[in-house]
Amino acid sequence: MIFRPKIVAFMCHWSLPPEIDVSTPSLIRGYPKIRIVKTMCAGRIDPAIVMETFLKGADGVLVVGCHSPDCHYVDGNTQAERKVKMLKRLIRLTGFDPERLRLEWANASEIENLARIINHFRNQVASLGASPLTSGESNSDVVINIKAAKAVAENFTLRLLVGREKEMTENANVYGDKVSQEEFDRLLEETLEAEFIRHKIHQLITEKPMSVKEIAAETHMEPSQTLCHIVNMRRKNMITLDHVKGTTPLYKALEAH
Amino acid sequence: MKATSQTLEKKRKLPPCRVACPAGVNVQGYVALIQQGKFKEAVELIRKAMPFPAICGRVCFSPCQEACSRKNVDQPVGIRYLKRLAADIEREQGRIEPKASPKTHNEKVAIIGAGPAGLSCAYELAKKGYPVTIFERMPEAGGMMRWGIPDYRLQKYVVANEISYIQDLGVEIKTGVEFGKKTTLDSLRKDGYKAIFIATGAQLSQKLGVPGEELEGVYPAVEFLRHVALGEIPHIGEKVAVIGGGNTAIDAARTALRLGAKQVMILYRRAKEDMPALPVEIEAAEEEGVQFNFLVAPKQILGEDGKVKAVECLRMKFGEPDESGRRRPIPIPGSEHTYEVNTVIPAIGQQIETSCLPSTLLDKSNRAVTADPLTLETQIPGVFAGGDAVTGPASVIEAVGAGKRAAESIDRYLTGKDLRAGREDETEESTWIKNWEQIAKKPERYTLSHVDVGRQPVSFTEADELLVKIKKLAMSEAHRCLECGPCSECLGNEELCEADKAMVDEASCTGCNVCALNCPFEAIRKNERGIAEVNEILCKGCGICAASCPERAISMKKCSDTQLLANVDAVLGREYI
Repeated sequence: MIFRPKIVAFMCHWSLPPEIDVSTPSLIRGYPKIRIVKTMCAGRIDPAIVMETFLKGADGVLVVGCHSPDCHYVDGNTQAERKVKMLKRLIRLTGFDPERLRLEWANASEIENLARIINHFRNQVASLGASPLTSGESNSDVVINIKAAKAVAENFTLRLLVGREKEMTENANVYGDKVSQEEFDRLLEETLEAEFIRHKIHQLITEKPMSVKEIAAETHMEPSQTLCHIVNMRRKNMITLDHVKGTTPLYKALEAH
Repeated sequence: MKATSQTLEKKRKLPPCRVACPAGVNVQGYVALIQQGKFKEAVELIRKAMPFPAICGRVCFSPCQEACSRKNVDQPVGIRYLKRLAADIEREQGRIEPKASPKTHNEKVAIIGAGPAGLSCAYELAKKGYPVTIFERMPEAGGMMRWGIPDYRLQKYVVANEISYIQDLGVEIKTGVEFGKKTTLDSLRKDGYKAIFIATGAQLSQKLGVPGEELEGVYPAVEFLRHVALGEIPHIGEKVAVIGGGNTAIDAARTALRLGAKQVMILYRRAKEDMPALPVEIEAAEEEGVQFNFLVAPKQILGEDGKVKAVECLRMKFGEPDESGRRRPIPIPGSEHTYEVNTVIPAIGQQIETSCLPSTLLDKSNRAVTADPLTLETQIPGVFAGGDAVTGPASVIEAVGAGKRAAESIDRYLTGKDLRAGREDETEESTWIKNWEQIAKKPERYTLSHVDVGRQPVSFTEADELLVKIKKLAMSEAHRCLECGPCSECLGNEELCEADKAMVDEASCTGCNVCALNCPFEAIRKNERGIAEVNEILCKGCGICAASCPERAISMKKCSDTQLLANVDAVLGREYI
């Protein structure tokens, strides 16, 4: 049987050619059938929603916005670009293939171009095979990782950083400091790594309480490094001490944090 | 979640194109629909404001285009051609038939004159459910659009089609009825008409006031064009002189060429840049070989055996600016010279035919009908007047604006409402663009040559391909629109867009200001309590703030996270073979 990837395309209203009827599979010849979710602007695409879409079983997620001077909302397309760039870095940490997420520009008058974009992405996702999240195993490493990544995408610190990227890199802050793009990228990477590992720990100890040593083994980290995260997470009320087994404290995740 | 909504500004903010349009057409809206290839929907949106998309797409002087914000970056958006194309596509592919409104009112309304003002007034009143009858002197309706503008600029079938749309709404047009003879204000009242709108226009050519005007071979422009439109082709000589610099002068000159004149010259007392005619019209006339003589004015028309032989002119020079702000031309004494011509067409302006109108309606000089500029009321209760009859010769779109105003007044008059309340200008030009240098330049991709398909013979398949190509070009051109106003209200995407606004969950908002930093339209900002607040007038519903809010405290009214995820579920659950 040929593998037909399930691709969800978040398309901005203005880049969607009028020939395409979103509610029914398109009948235009040579035009691949994809699953379109329409928004007013590509800038509407919340990183958390993209991660949720993967968890819901999409094999690939395509975000389509307008070419840069055409954006109806001035810079909604660059907003989308920033979010997708961040998401790709985040996904890289999870062992899930970041190539399953793609951002493209289109114009409502260029249906052939859109067809080319979709065909290309579809072939690419087809060659990657079905998403590991659709195997049915709810506790596999990748499922835990993507759940953690989704939590990162919902996380205040990270969203604040992404939301301030433009301000930080283009204008100076109130103290007159300006951050270069390289510096910002480094900061983003650090934050992503730290937040990802914390949310992964959170995912791991949601199921059952674990000790620092056990967590370190699961996350392939030094116990000392793990402890740093545990201390940080306790301070943020992400986790709490469950009980002490012998002399070893065991931690468990807290629901809302 | 509690939505915050406040109206910070009382005035309705609109893009400059819409403010500039005398008929208030939602330009940004229909351009947005054309961007998406929704040509028919674009025409429907235009028809909400006025009934002449195809006519205005051809002959409007496009104040919208002059106001277009893109002129600050490169060239204004080619709005008029976009409208023309949309209207032509709609007509060719099957007109969206009007839904005749139920007659909710019994009061009959009479309109005198089936020109753009009278027709638009009838259109608006018919939509409101009034029984309307238009009385027209000429054998066909249309006024100057039918009898003044030549066929090569505005084809008769285009006018007929748009008038039939109005008739299909239930408006009755009685042609061949001359007002002021059997039909008078009194007779109309006797016949049960409760309100009357006088839109008789300015039908007479202004006299030159020089000797020789009575000679055979002098055809005043308006009468000349009307005779051509009636098919009573006047006999013109080989050499024609048109006097004047407005659109009527150009129309007469280009028409004379088409009737076989070998040499057509325009004599204008000012300079080329002072000509009131549309620049495209002047260019077209030049291309066709019309000669222009500037800074000359006729002194007398010379005749032989009662026929025109030549026109004697004086050279002019510029003096002080006059009340219109233009430099006043002054004759240079002794500069007399003659042009040998067989036909002279004076086109120096139009006058109102006052003989058919009751003198109580006229102003002191007896030259125009007096009416209140806002409500168009006249001295006589229940009688309104508008269009060229009041303003003197103007444009189609201004007449449409007057017709709409009259319809509003008549409706208020007949339902016993205040004629003035709330009608003062409540709109304000608004654009989010602060820094024009930041806007990317886009060359004009779409011009008249793309619209005038009819000029080259093409096969059916080629025509289809050509149409696809033209549509694409038009969509690209529409994409040049900066969407500089607030929400365009195109209503083209109601399920998502209409009234989609951001709302803030005040309990979750931490006042981090990320939304304000990212909103392209300054539609959200922290209030005095340090909590984000949405200005719904400025919010265009893009959702950037919702996607960026670190606390996820902002949601969209329509395109909420829950809605988006439900849509994801729906598409993922779909079986594609």
